[in-house]
Amino acid sequence: MSIKDELEQIVEKKNVRDAAEDLVRYSRDLSLNPPGMPEVIVRPETSQQVAAVVRWAGTNNVPVVPVSSSTHFHGCTIPKQGGVILDMVNMNRILEIDEYNRKVCIEAGVTWRQLTEELDKRDMRVIMPLLPHPERSVLTDWLEREVPTNTVYDYGEPMQSLEVVWPTGEIFRAGSASVNGYPDSKSKGTNPSGPGLDFYRFVQGAQGTMGVVTWTNLKIESKPKIDNILFAAIDDLGRAQDFLYRILPRRIGQEVVLLNNVDLATILTDKWPDDFEKLRAALPAWTLIIVISGLLRRPEEKVAYEMEFLGEVIRNEFKDIALTDNLPGFPGIGKKLLSLLRKPWPKEVYWKNQWKGAAHSLFFIAKPSATPLYKSIVEEIAEAYGYALEGLGMYIQPIEHNRACHMEFNFFYDPECASEKALIKSLSCEAAKELLNSGAFFTRPYGDLAAINYERAGGYASALKRIKKLFDPNNIMNPGNLCF
Amino acid sequence: MAIRKEAYKALESVVGSEFITDDPILCEGYRSGPGGYESATGYERVMTMPPGAVILPRTTEDVQKIVKICNRYKVAYVPYSTGFYGPRSHCHVKNELLIDMKRMRDFELDDKHWYAAVQPGVTYSPLQAECLKRGGYVVVGGGGAQVSVVANMICDGWSPLSLRIGFPHRRILGVEVVLPDGEILRMGSLAVHDDAFWGEGIGPDLRGMLRGYTGVLGCLGIVTKLALKILPFQPEELKPTGISPNTGLALPVNRVKWLNFQVPSKEAETQVMYEIGKAEIAGAVTKVPLFWRAIAKTEGKEEFWDEWGKESEETIKNFHIVRVLLIGFTSEAQMRYDEAVLNDIVKEVGGVQRPTKPIDQSWIKNADSAGMWLMCGAYVSVDYIIESIPHADTHGPTYAKLKARYTPPFMPDYGDPGWTMVCEAGHQGYSEYLVYWDPDEDTNPVDQFYVETSKMNIKDRYYTSLLGSHQPLYLTGPKYGPNYHEWLLKIKGEFDPAWICHPPVPLAHDEFVERAEWMKSTKDWETPDELPMPKW
Amino acid sequence: MANDRYDTPKKKVSFEVRDLNNFVYDMSRCIKCKGCYWVEHTYMPGIKYTTRCPSGTWNEFDSYQAAGKVRIGLAVAEGKFDWTPKLLEVIYADPLCGACDVGCKRNLDLEIGLSLEALRIKAVKDGAGPMPAHKKIARNIADTHNRFGAPHDSRKKWIDKGIGVAEKADVLYFGGCSASYTNNEIAQATGKVLNASGTPFMVMKDEWCCGNVLYSVGMIDEATEIAKRNIEAVKASGAKTLLTSCAECYRTWKVDYPKMLDIATADLGFDVIHLLEFADDAIRNGSVKPVRNVDLRLTYHDACSVSRLCDAWRPWKGERGWMGTIEPRYKRRRGAEGLYGQPRNILGAIPGLTVVEMPRIRENAFCCGAGRGTKEAFPDLARFSANQRLEEVREVGAEALVSACPFCKNNFSQAVKAHGEEVKVMDIAEVILASL
Repeated sequence: MSIKDELEQIVEKKNVRDAAEDLVRYSRDLSLNPPGMPEVIVRPETSQQVAAVVRWAGTNNVPVVPVSSSTHFHGCTIPKQGGVILDMVNMNRILEIDEYNRKVCIEAGVTWRQLTEELDKRDMRVIMPLLPHPERSVLTDWLEREVPTNTVYDYGEPMQSLEVVWPTGEIFRAGSASVNGYPDSKSKGTNPSGPGLDFYRFVQGAQGTMGVVTWTNLKIESKPKIDNILFAAIDDLGRAQDFLYRILPRRIGQEVVLLNNVDLATILTDKWPDDFEKLRAALPAWTLIIVISGLLRRPEEKVAYEMEFLGEVIRNEFKDIALTDNLPGFPGIGKKLLSLLRKPWPKEVYWKNQWKGAAHSLFFIAKPSATPLYKSIVEEIAEAYGYALEGLGMYIQPIEHNRACHMEFNFFYDPECASEKALIKSLSCEAAKELLNSGAFFTRPYGDLAAINYERAGGYASALKRIKKLFDPNNIMNPGNLCF
Repeated sequence: MAIRKEAYKALESVVGSEFITDDPILCEGYRSGPGGYESATGYERVMTMPPGAVILPRTTEDVQKIVKICNRYKVAYVPYSTGFYGPRSHCHVKNELLIDMKRMRDFELDDKHWYAAVQPGVTYSPLQAECLKRGGYVVVGGGGAQVSVVANMICDGWSPLSLRIGFPHRRILGVEVVLPDGEILRMGSLAVHDDAFWGEGIGPDLRGMLRGYTGVLGCLGIVTKLALKILPFQPEELKPTGISPNTGLALPVNRVKWLNFQVPSKEAETQVMYEIGKAEIAGAVTKVPLFWRAIAKTEGKEEFWDEWGKESEETIKNFHIVRVLLIGFTSEAQMRYDEAVLNDIVKEVGGVQRPTKPIDQSWIKNADSAGMWLMCGAYVSVDYIIESIPHADTHGPTYAKLKARYTPPFMPDYGDPGWTMVCEAGHQGYSEYLVYWDPDEDTNPVDQFYVETSKMNIKDRYYTSLLGSHQPLYLTGPKYGPNYHEWLLKIKGEFDPAWICHPPVPLAHDEFVERAEWMKSTKDWETPDELPMPKW
Repeated sequence: MANDRYDTPKKKVSFEVRDLNNFVYDMSRCIKCKGCYWVEHTYMPGIKYTTRCPSGTWNEFDSYQAAGKVRIGLAVAEGKFDWTPKLLEVIYADPLCGACDVGCKRNLDLEIGLSLEALRIKAVKDGAGPMPAHKKIARNIADTHNRFGAPHDSRKKWIDKGIGVAEKADVLYFGGCSASYTNNEIAQATGKVLNASGTPFMVMKDEWCCGNVLYSVGMIDEATEIAKRNIEAVKASGAKTLLTSCAECYRTWKVDYPKMLDIATADLGFDVIHLLEFADDAIRNGSVKPVRNVDLRLTYHDACSVSRLCDAWRPWKGERGWMGTIEPRYKRRRGAEGLYGQPRNILGAIPGLTVVEMPRIRENAFCCGAGRGTKEAFPDLARFSANQRLEEVREVGAEALVSACPFCKNNFSQAVKAHGEEVKVMDIAEVILASL
């Protein structure tokens, strides 16, 4: 029997494909990673099927590459050693929306578009990273620790309990979903932690190497009743950070985002390429975007006290920062951006890909005060590589009271141009090393970042490999990623 | 009883003779019990003993050397930060080394980035003092300000002040652990930098090994450094006032105040807590057992029982007081907003405000957790679980029903359903069930009750705390996950194949059930003929 | 009792320290919260100065703080251990400063202080204790009625021409061994303050050591004899009030004497006050007028025996039963009667003084480590404790360290000298005198 035949015994025939044109689609993505061909594609419909496929793969020593979205930016889903693509596209049910407990339970194939539309109907929302791709898996984006634009929740991540199929093929529920009989239980699955150990941590940031997460519970939030979106034009990044250090610990704002002119122009442009050049030239070096919201109760009063506080701080300490409800010279930007911030990316071509076709994002976690240094490091290296600085996108996402931030550099390139890709790959590697040496912390080591970081974190890599070996003794789960 | 001479000599060379002892008198001082948390139980009597030696390391390198020596000579050891947690953090086998971490007191605080990095000898009390000086605060775990920050953060770690941040594991940043084989594992940003400001993994997050809702009592290594999040507070000073025993923090009521509300029913209680969460206001909200209020009001034990004697099932059923802590994080105007919203919520359920002193005697500095022992002399929290509000609503009463069958020896509490609060702005609810008894009574039913609660949780399909550390692993294991116990044992076997790190945890409670005669009647689950660990 | 719900047998028990079994309950209920060791959490100053247990801070094994000691004490009560030098060290390397007792009683009803006293009494009864240095003190007291072994007839030498002592008065000033021999300046300052206030005072015809060290180290029989003798002497004098300027004498008279005789402080037959109480009242009622500028930046050390240890004694005996409740009721001595306000009022009334507080004050004060026979037997511990305190003095930038106890004064003075520092160590009597 061929692999295809064997797998057809597990899932239905229609859910197994190995035609060349299908395989090719999974062999490449929007990253700088070289392509890699899978042998077959499987599209299970249930957790039991997922488990059976994984067990089969384990028995036959065939790699399994879990895929949950149709768009991929970081190369994790490109098979590095062949094997089976386990595409969760059929597992796209929103299993439950629990408004009382403010949570949803979604399968891995549920997309941002799908979820936000459904929640919208109920006046609810899930906090989001910046402009997620509408066809990306919500579950995977949170598993991969995308950073939310919302800075006001101390609890950060929305993840709660989940179900995972371990590389050994066992179905396991982490957190309070582990209760026997769940969801027919007193437990609602709101606790991600336990049982015994925090298993969910092992699958976070794992790029599919530690198991296949089939569904997860996520917190959802009430939609604010009132939103005031404010803008400040910023020249000096350090000064912007001083301002954020001052206001964010006071629990100001819902979404707070800092974008440079290149990234913001990329987001705002409707007519390409003319509007883009104009916008990019006209936008300030940095735009600080703060959304002040009123919630369910006495929303006007909430907005009022936050605005009063902001006003006082600006008057007394930050006279140079002009925070207004519109960016001068950009009428309508408020309405446009607010809508963008609350939904997945609305257009067909992803915002990062509109300009040149593709973009490579280099991002890490940093102390906000270090961001000006990191900016100059990357600019210097970019210049040395001949990458035009006016094409360097930058995005800073403050995290929880500005205790840290996600800093992201976007390098735009033509995906058909091999030399451009090679240049950016090298530039990015060199920048990553320099950034790492200067205190940046890469929590999501995609592609080349893995080797750079694991070499430096030898002790961590060694322990990680020991854990991996327990869960995946034959290293069948997405081998070739991270340090596996 | 003592550890091998060669091992002792080697250990002495690490810390110097001043900081190691095998003198039986000094070791006796490290006995668990007879008083304490979860003390005066069969578990304590059967499973614990004084150490064979005690050592006081100062640095991570000391700890690493000690662990490696223990590996070489197969000396069992237990990490001990304050010893408050009761029998489970004491020696369980003969000739065991107790590693007292109190000299490891390094402390760094970054108030710009809102975190502190501590060694295990640092307790919450000084940490909170340093935070308050800088306009911040931490959640001082319910155990009290005397508990080790590290120990609490890797085992439990919440209070009503967890309203906004919720799960304690979320507060852990970079961590350094000496693994049972003596290797050092640094997690989070400590893996690559000398700065613990961030906790996530490089890829998968090995902090998963530290705990699992509640912890594993140090049987997977010794945490030698841990950074935790500090939360921004407000700028006014909270002045300590009073002379012991009547001390408290005087609250600047324009920015911090406790408010008590009496509401008409249990449903109203739940609704108030739920709505507060949903409205995203306040710094803490909780409903405490009525007897805690009696402890706070009275001057001593006898007076407590006078007060408590006035209560009944009726009064318990009708006691519905919700306590709310408002914090003016942003400004006085924000404080007023929070209070207006709170009053709206309380009005909706027909509640009324009760007089509340502008003082905090409990949660912010948590100086009074020891009061839990005032009533009876022995106490344990059998379960403390963050799940959903509906889960919390019924979990306590379910416990109360089971507990009634074991009263006596448990304290008569007229079916009080325990302590509840909400976390993560109402996305979760919390229930903690506490039991109290007189150690001089027959405590066998206490041990039996403990195991019956595990069965109750399994049968009624509740989530539960203390999995892997306090409950028979072979009872709970198959029913949660399922088979979480197999993964836990695999990880234990990988990192500590000789089981020298705090044996026989995580199989300690299984072992207890096998050894204690009065537990045989509770055993109705399967265990392997030989528990999969070396014999000590 | 209305709470007799279970069949718990009642046990006869009392706070009689001559029988260690009376404290088995208390020792067995210690929860290891270490409130005995830490500064009370409400007042915790920060990452520095976190403890108030001198023995536990000096030697960091748990066994040297109350949480460890009571477990050892239980073993002693069970006859589990022989008396070894280590066991004696654990029990005696401890100034019995009361921090553990007060710390525990913030939340619980356990008599930790009495347990530690009872352990020492047992050590002596068993022929193992006290320490050799204590035995020497005991011999001195027996021979010359002072703890130094100095000539008894030099005891009143401190009374010079400038001090008016009445033949008979309501107030009897008890100098104590320190003020009489090594610290005349304290007795003299006290005498002059009393004179300035217009309060006539007498001294004992034949003043003997109060027996502080004897009681503290467990030599309760000898201490009881002295107590009886001294109380008779005061009664015979007709004094209504015994005033002392030594904190240790104060505690011994006020607390330990009635304890030994199984009576209440209120039943002694006379009041026992410290100069602090007298001066506070006198300044308030105008009989002492601090008018002279005293230009000094000073800090005040709360000596243990006028702080945690001086709650009036009330004996108790009865029964313990259900849940550990006792009958009859007992108002616990939790250290709340300490003389905390008085010294601060006094110092606040003196012109020119800048008073700064150390991080650990009042019931959280870190003991000087010298009192109750500790310095003689464990000079290293006394040195260590004094040094701990001096760090706080440095922290607050004080030029002078003031206390109300000669044991504190002498120990601090020695430590200051050893460090070559410029800090003035004074007794509050001297400061008051300087302001008159």
